[in-house]
Amino acid sequence: MTDPAVAGPLIVQSDKTLLLEVDHEQADEARKAIAPFAELERSPEHIHTYRLTPLGLWNARAAGHDAEQVVDTLLAYSRYAVPHALLVDVAETMARYGRLRLDKHPVHGLVLSSTDRAVLEEVIRAKKVAGMLGDRLDADSVVVHPSERGNLKQALLKLGWPAEDLAGYVDGEAHAIDLVEDGWSLRPYQKEAAESFWHGGSGVVVLPCGAGKTIVGAAAMAHARATTLILVTNTVAARQWKHELVRRTSLTEDEIGEYSGSVKEVRPVTIATYQVMTTRRKGVYSHLELLDARDWGLVVYDEVHLLPAPIFRMTANLQARRRLGLTATLVREDGREGDVFSLIGPKRYDAPWKDIESQGWIAPADCVEVRVTLPEGERIAYATAEPEERYRLASCTFAKTRIAERLVEQHRGEPTLVIGQYLDQLDELADHLGAPVIKGSTTVRERERLFEGFRSGEIDLLVVSKVANFSVDLPEAAVAIQVSGSFGSRQEEAQRLGRLLRPKAGGGTARFYAVVSRDTVDADFAQNRQRFLAEQGYAYRIVDAEDV
Amino acid sequence: MPTPRPVEGSPTPRPLADPLRSWSSDQLAGLLAARLDLAVPAPADSAQLASRAVVRSSVLRSLEALDTLELAVLEALVELGPTDAAAVGAVVHASGQAVAAALDVLCTRALVWGASDALRPVSMAAELLALPEGPPADEVPALLAELDEQARTILDHLDHTGADGTVADAQRRPTVTGARTPTEALLARRLLVPRDGRQVTLPWTVRLALRGGRSTRHDLSGPPPVATGEREQPLVDRAGAGAAFEFLRRTELLLDRWGTHPPGALRAGGMGVRELRAAAALVHAEQPVAALLVETAAAAGLMAIGMTDDLDAAWLPTDAFDAWQGRAPAERWLVLARAWLASPRLVSAVGGRDASSGPVNALSPGLERGWLPALRRDVLTEIAALPAGHVLAPGTGVASLLERMRWLRPRRPRAHLDVVPALLDEAALLGIAGLHGLSSFGRALVATASTDSAAADPAGALAGLLPEPVDHVLVQADLTAVAPGPLEQQLARKLALVADVESRGGATVYRFAAGSVRRAFDAGWSAADVHDFLRHSSRTPVPQSLSYLVDDVARRFGTVRAGHAASFLRSDDETALTELVHDQGAAGLRLRRVAPTVLVSDVPLDTLLPRLRALGVAPVVEAADGTVHVSRPDVFRAKTPRTRVAPARDEARTAARVSAVVTAIRAGDRAAAERPTRGPVTSPADVMGVLRAAAETGQPVWIGYVDQHGTDSERVVRPLRVEGGRLTAWDERSDEQRSFALHRITRAAAT
Repeated sequence: MTDPAVAGPLIVQSDKTLLLEVDHEQADEARKAIAPFAELERSPEHIHTYRLTPLGLWNARAAGHDAEQVVDTLLAYSRYAVPHALLVDVAETMARYGRLRLDKHPVHGLVLSSTDRAVLEEVIRAKKVAGMLGDRLDADSVVVHPSERGNLKQALLKLGWPAEDLAGYVDGEAHAIDLVEDGWSLRPYQKEAAESFWHGGSGVVVLPCGAGKTIVGAAAMAHARATTLILVTNTVAARQWKHELVRRTSLTEDEIGEYSGSVKEVRPVTIATYQVMTTRRKGVYSHLELLDARDWGLVVYDEVHLLPAPIFRMTANLQARRRLGLTATLVREDGREGDVFSLIGPKRYDAPWKDIESQGWIAPADCVEVRVTLPEGERIAYATAEPEERYRLASCTFAKTRIAERLVEQHRGEPTLVIGQYLDQLDELADHLGAPVIKGSTTVRERERLFEGFRSGEIDLLVVSKVANFSVDLPEAAVAIQVSGSFGSRQEEAQRLGRLLRPKAGGGTARFYAVVSRDTVDADFAQNRQRFLAEQGYAYRIVDAEDV
Repeated sequence: MPTPRPVEGSPTPRPLADPLRSWSSDQLAGLLAARLDLAVPAPADSAQLASRAVVRSSVLRSLEALDTLELAVLEALVELGPTDAAAVGAVVHASGQAVAAALDVLCTRALVWGASDALRPVSMAAELLALPEGPPADEVPALLAELDEQARTILDHLDHTGADGTVADAQRRPTVTGARTPTEALLARRLLVPRDGRQVTLPWTVRLALRGGRSTRHDLSGPPPVATGEREQPLVDRAGAGAAFEFLRRTELLLDRWGTHPPGALRAGGMGVRELRAAAALVHAEQPVAALLVETAAAAGLMAIGMTDDLDAAWLPTDAFDAWQGRAPAERWLVLARAWLASPRLVSAVGGRDASSGPVNALSPGLERGWLPALRRDVLTEIAALPAGHVLAPGTGVASLLERMRWLRPRRPRAHLDVVPALLDEAALLGIAGLHGLSSFGRALVATASTDSAAADPAGALAGLLPEPVDHVLVQADLTAVAPGPLEQQLARKLALVADVESRGGATVYRFAAGSVRRAFDAGWSAADVHDFLRHSSRTPVPQSLSYLVDDVARRFGTVRAGHAASFLRSDDETALTELVHDQGAAGLRLRRVAPTVLVSDVPLDTLLPRLRALGVAPVVEAADGTVHVSRPDVFRAKTPRTRVAPARDEARTAARVSAVVTAIRAGDRAAAERPTRGPVTSPADVMGVLRAAAETGQPVWIGYVDQHGTDSERVVRPLRVEGGRLTAWDERSDEQRSFALHRITRAAAT
């Protein structure tokens, strides 16, 4: 085992992380082997970190892998002896999935049954489960109140005995939906993803940003051929979905309704935002009836990792309908991965990121952090400023404007966006660059005119505020220069980055410049971003303003 | 009580001395090796050796070392009296060969002696092993026939299990007709005989009758086999090496940590539960594992109680730890494994509860069990003796091992074997065992421990199996460094200084952060040092983001400097300060220039000021808040004394005190005057009578009373009530109503 020729690419740590040496000759093989049961946590350049979690192992069980396979894989690729306790733990954890199953019963409706009587006894006696169960049918099965199907699954997962849901789904109201593949076709992995979902019943499809998750959703709808409710993060996403569906499927504009703060349309395919669903009036969710407005055959959740808590509660009552979750990552910042697993379903498809990338479907942007030094006078002003003023001071230094000018000059001819948060800074930039600016106060007509010009290539430079950044039809660019403005959560940042920047026609990678003031809070934020982007595998460089 | 049966035959005053004298030197050496206690102190001659060999304690010890067959042979000899091997073989349920071998062992251990046709046990063995006498052999069948079904069931049960029974009163000897219970029926017929107050056993003649002329039911030719499963040795070795590596790593991690953050030692000497829990969390293990780690480290002398800077007793790594760390991993393991093997401490008891003293702490005194090292060796030797490629069968293996060990040492206390599963777990954690078998290096360890042979080389066997230390890391753009194996010690230390450890195991993941890089600067590194170190230790190019991080920290490091000073001088006139610094007379003031306009000194201001004034400088003093402190001599004032208490109040107080004293004196006088001439009654009943009568009439009585402090006093009281063991009365001496405990009233008299 000390012979380097036979040393495996994988190191299994006792804290249940797996380290995969990327440059090892067996690395690809090992990656494919561990992907079904281990979650990729970080993918920097040399060593990728995966983690074994109960959910990951149960996902693997749901996908038909057994503990033996997992243990064999670990032993086969491990460089050192695998901690014995970890192997035992893997076997024990995996054995917990499927001991309990939910089945449809011709007489009693929904029935929870078990192959292991002791487990059934244990969960029946659990306080959390008590109210959800009805009469005991025999030693191995018990009636479940149909309305508690979701809650029961949630509770059982918390008890550590996730149930396999085999009770099936209602078909819903039929509605003809077909993919219209004119001038484009479903990519192989998108097809696979839609099919794995359909055969699995309900569940989550994990695809990296920019891999076309919307199209997977459309393909799933074409499988279901039924009325569909689509839940998305915000209005921008809702319009994008509508746009894509009209373009990719036989659906017409009239068949697709938008249900948001401003419009309330219920049509065969309805796209609702999380925000409107979670709006409360006098303490009650006033838009819940949408869920029962039609006999939905499919419910699609966009960006499952951002799904707000109330939606989970509503979803608990939708267990008889097919549910498709779409996301780039199963990691939730609030730690509610378990609810995704029990209420929406196990992971049904997970495309190795590198595979999709190597096939040329997505290209990570090249991220460059440009560091400017504050002039002496501004440093003093910064040092003596109130804490809440500091970020603004650091962000709006004139040094940034000069750098932006130079960068724009370098990329003259490529579609370039300059993104900022502070309006006076934007005006100043627009002035210096001689470029039009789009901000909140810009009229819709003006905005559309500028975007159209940008798309057609007439205009190759736009200065946009954060407001515009949220805009529906923000065109794709090859170069983005961010001078100020911190994004919300880190995942959101990577996603927006993916949406904004597409591989250039010539095959070159897109560029993302972040201009940062050295030794200020601005740089501290940049550090977090740098870590996250590096972990996501984006190339990340730092250059000094003088070297640009 | 068992009565020793007189050994028939020729009476010999010193039964053993003569034959011992004729033993060869080898035979004597064999005897001393088997019964070590005989050799210490060295006996003067064979006579002394012989007399020592039959002493009760020595015979008891040697009985404990016998296996079931040898014991059965000895018991048979005790019952049969002097006889030959054939007669013994007839009653012992074993092959003739086995019996002969057992007899041979007994002879070499001087437990049996005599001519081959009249072998006899030493009398002490007879005394210890003899069974109480039962009915004569020829009467037994008839007695058995008389038994009813229940009694027969009891007898059969005792027969099959070979155990002793317990009854309420074994010494009672009911008559055959008076027996009411089945047990009594057995006792009455002496088919069961008492060993002591509660224990009953089958007498020899009954045993033979029930077991077809043999003393035991089961064949005793050899020990029961151990249930085994097949497992290739390389797999076992790999698992063992993994465990050994993990154990080493954890020990190092723990002691390294404790070098800087030592856990406190309890007053009793152990380590607190909380400290142990923290240790377990640090090494990512359960508490029993942590307990084994610290106990083994302590047993190996790698940690001991010492004093911290605050003079608190704490568990600290010893200097032996430093030496140990410098050795090769396999040798380090050997130190730990040997320490564990020889340690008499029962680690598995840690975390449990002691009946008398509550929870048992790690490293606490009182866990020593003298028999433990021998038991450890026995267990491991048994597993080592399994055929190659075989390990204990999962499930049944341990139980069968215990069965075998019980056969080999039947007189070992049962409780000792209860700890065997825990010992096996510990051995697995140390890597001596793995996958229920013994690793090759574990085998070598046991071999060196039992025979002291230098042939086996445990460290050598292990060295090839441990992961090779690596001399490089892989540094990545997300500011982590991964060491794909155990790092060389020097490198590991340096890296731990510059980066924080994020994940441990076969590999180690380090994370660089501003804080960790600053730590390196604090330790005296320069930015160039850090860059250099990273470049040399990383096999991959150092990512640009990390270089920037180091430079960022370096740029900010030390921009503000802090230090100690007792006083400062500042002046806008730089020349004045320069003059002062160079003034010969100011040399003793230790002035240091920290800025053109600021001098600091570690001389306190009180001393500094007069010296400066003497030098002709006229400083203005600043207060702590920066305002100018005007120097003016302090005016001293005393505190106004408190005014005295007003005279009138004082007089009243004195008058009151005096009158109280007078009252007391008067009452005393009265008591003395009224001391009854007739003499007081003293018996409790009489005292009660006098008091009751006085309470009825309302007359004062004279009482003698011993108060709580044992002071005897006499007083005259006017009783009001006598109830509940107390007398309530008007005490004339204190002029108030008081309550007296009746039992303290020693005497009373009516006045």
